[in-house]
Amino acid sequence: MNTHKKHGFWHRYFFSLDHKDIGFQYMLTIFFMVSIGGFFAYVFRMHLAFPDMKVPLFGLVTNKDYNMLITNHGLIMMMWLALGMLLAVAGNFLIPIMIGTDDMAFPKLNKISYWIFLLSVILMIASFFMPKGGLGVGWTLYPPLSVGDFGYNTPYKSFADRFFTANTFVLLAIAFEFTSLLMGGINFFVTTLNKRAKGMSLLKMPMVVWMINIANLLFMFSVGPLVAGTFMLLLDINVGTGFYDAYRGGDPLLWEHLFWFFGHPEVYVILLPPLGILAEIISVNSRKPLFGYKFILTLTLIAAVLSTMVWAHHQFVAGIDPRAATVFSIFTIIISLPFAGIILAYIATLWKGDLRFTLPMKWALGAVALFTLLGGFTGLHLGASVFDIYAHDTSFVVAHFHYTLFPTVIFGSFAAIYFWFSKFSGRKLNQTLGNLHFWLTFIFFNGFAFPLFLLGLAGQHRRIADYRQFEFLMQDPLPLYRKIATISAVILILSQFIFLFNFIWSLKRGKKETEDNPWQANTLEWQTSSPPPHGNFKVYPVVNYGPYEYNRPDKDKDFTPQNEI
Amino acid sequence: MKIFPENASSYGGEVDFIFWLITGVVAVASVIVIFLLLYPVLTRRRKLTKTQRYQKGEGFRNLRLIYLGILLLAIADFFFLYKEGPTWTKIEETLPDKEFHVAIIGRQWLWEIVYPGPDGKLYTADDVKKINQFYMPVNSVVHMDIQSYDVIHSVFIPNARFKQDALPGRNITRWVKMTKTGTFPLSCAEICGIGHANMKATIIVQNKEDFKKTLTKLYKK
Ligand code: HEM
Ligand SMILES: [Cu+2]
Ligand SMILES: [Cu+2]
Repeated sequence: MNTHKKHGFWHRYFFSLDHKDIGFQYMLTIFFMVSIGGFFAYVFRMHLAFPDMKVPLFGLVTNKDYNMLITNHGLIMMMWLALGMLLAVAGNFLIPIMIGTDDMAFPKLNKISYWIFLLSVILMIASFFMPKGGLGVGWTLYPPLSVGDFGYNTPYKSFADRFFTANTFVLLAIAFEFTSLLMGGINFFVTTLNKRAKGMSLLKMPMVVWMINIANLLFMFSVGPLVAGTFMLLLDINVGTGFYDAYRGGDPLLWEHLFWFFGHPEVYVILLPPLGILAEIISVNSRKPLFGYKFILTLTLIAAVLSTMVWAHHQFVAGIDPRAATVFSIFTIIISLPFAGIILAYIATLWKGDLRFTLPMKWALGAVALFTLLGGFTGLHLGASVFDIYAHDTSFVVAHFHYTLFPTVIFGSFAAIYFWFSKFSGRKLNQTLGNLHFWLTFIFFNGFAFPLFLLGLAGQHRRIADYRQFEFLMQDPLPLYRKIATISAVILILSQFIFLFNFIWSLKRGKKETEDNPWQANTLEWQTSSPPPHGNFKVYPVVNYGPYEYNRPDKDKDFTPQNEI
Repeated sequence: MKIFPENASSYGGEVDFIFWLITGVVAVASVIVIFLLLYPVLTRRRKLTKTQRYQKGEGFRNLRLIYLGILLLAIADFFFLYKEGPTWTKIEETLPDKEFHVAIIGRQWLWEIVYPGPDGKLYTADDVKKINQFYMPVNSVVHMDIQSYDVIHSVFIPNARFKQDALPGRNITRWVKMTKTGTFPLSCAEICGIGHANMKATIIVQNKEDFKKTLTKLYKK
């Protein structure tokens, strides 16, 4: 067992092998990325509501700027925030300590994963500054548009001409990021399989550890085709091959298949870790065992398998055989069933519980409500291929996926941060600021996303810089909806500064966490000091109980730590 | 307050019906979910009793209400699929006999509408081309050959509830039958570059006589 030594700045942020430090490095990097993604959202949202305005801190937004802003907003949020936060950060912080071990199985590999992640971030940022400007083709990168400024019609001048483009850099950034996540994922697997504390059978693992690993499995399964697809796209751009060029035997639809074969499972890769986080928080704050542990696990595995068979619901009207669309429609609608089961199991955990409305619990309940009521249910609308003919590529879809992604990625991450902050930092976040942050985010997220449903139903297509050219989209009350969405989005984004301040201030000056187990939780991370020592535990725990043994009839106190004798 | 733009096609009503059907069922389901969430939230705040709280949810008996929920949703799901199937087949998989035929070709950043010339056949030397102006006769089945010269575009006619991507190297034939005369917007729903936001055409639906006159005018030019 390691003794805790004080290390300097460079050590902690660049060379540390400790999983908690590496998790922290990932987290800071992602905070940086998400502030860019959020800033872009602010700029283009302002432009939509007030098209003639010079957006403060940016200036006048041209069509070219607009395309660039939404594309990079989408890419950053999906690839770097969502995947990074929920696989890399959550996996790093939680897996080793929750399974009762000192570190990852391969700490050096872990460190290299982070460095490659950092490289991908650098490439991504560099792409904004290429001679022809940032990428503006939509985050789905559909060729032929993504092959160059004008698809295949631009004459091929020189290699440098093609290489130093945002197209190349973004694709390289994605490729490196996936490499990093794959290396991280392998590490998580081996760690989970080989390093669990004595007595921790697979079915005694906390749900979040399961979920991160299942998400990783799904990621590994689905990412291969996209990496191949990315490579072909890179060749099309840089060498002049024609894999996606219809006039030279290629097919642009091929990219759509490869992209969504990854892209749809990706949304479940993103969804599962927060579902795991919610399971922990809901169970602890209901003082009840998680209802249907094995049931949830089974449903998750079923959903993971199903999620690989629904990708073409993004392509109902993309030119695929309409008979195939029927099959994908059926699978898409069926995938609602396992998730309904999981959500109902969470709700059952609340029933007859003894609820504590702590901050993490608020985020968790908010996430469950919004995800189910407005994210999940509108998925049924879109899964019905007939309605998707109309709704595809309108703001209805934008509203739908923000209602699935925001509650899981953002609410889920905040739930986790408010839950585990004091464990890993040894200091408490300010509760008043936390409450303010929660309510502002909750209200103004709805204020921003809900009008988009109505705009979409009115026929507003997405990725449009200026709706004034479409008379039918300028009729009352649509401009008003756009303004409501924008003003809410601005307040939503500003509210995050409350969090940022709280986070930084509490890290340095927050009240000291005096207890090891302030929530009276069962899982192993709460059975060591806050913050944990370098090797996580002074004495390695031996597990005797499952993770959710709250209110066991044979115990006096209402919780039973996993390592209790 | 109207939710959808005015419907002006023969099948648009069925698309709207699917939306309202799903919305109706979902509204009922939402009420149930809201109750299930709010009830414990409102009544179980720090009840420090120890009654019946150690439930692990194992075995069919304990999970029976959840299975019931899944079953109900499954019934709703299959009902949606059952209801929408025929409409999908009608719009996407079948082509009723055509009364008029055009090609609509996307290019950065405009729509070319190609009308058959006096011989009544498309893809012959006498075809006429119009930019961003799509004339069609009312109450007639119009076949559209959807194509693209360069990148992917998407033909979106909100008033017809119709959308289809236009891909380079492919010809995708779909149909529409407008039931009202007037002008309707046609936008491009797939990002296609800097001019994507400006890419729009006008659909002018005319009664059959006016439409004939329009065609003759087109041929003269
Ligand atoms: C800060 C709050 C956010 C605001 C105000 C916001 C706003 C928007 C808006 C208005 C669009 C549509 C742009 C258009 O089609 O014209 C958009 C696109 C998108 N957003 Fe967000 N968003 C936010 C957070 C997020 C988060 C957290 C995620 C994912 C985790 C996300 C993922 C996406 C994606 C993938 C797109 C599609 C980009 C594309 O069309 O290529 N957004 N966002
Ligand atoms: Cu999908
Ligand atoms: Cu377009």
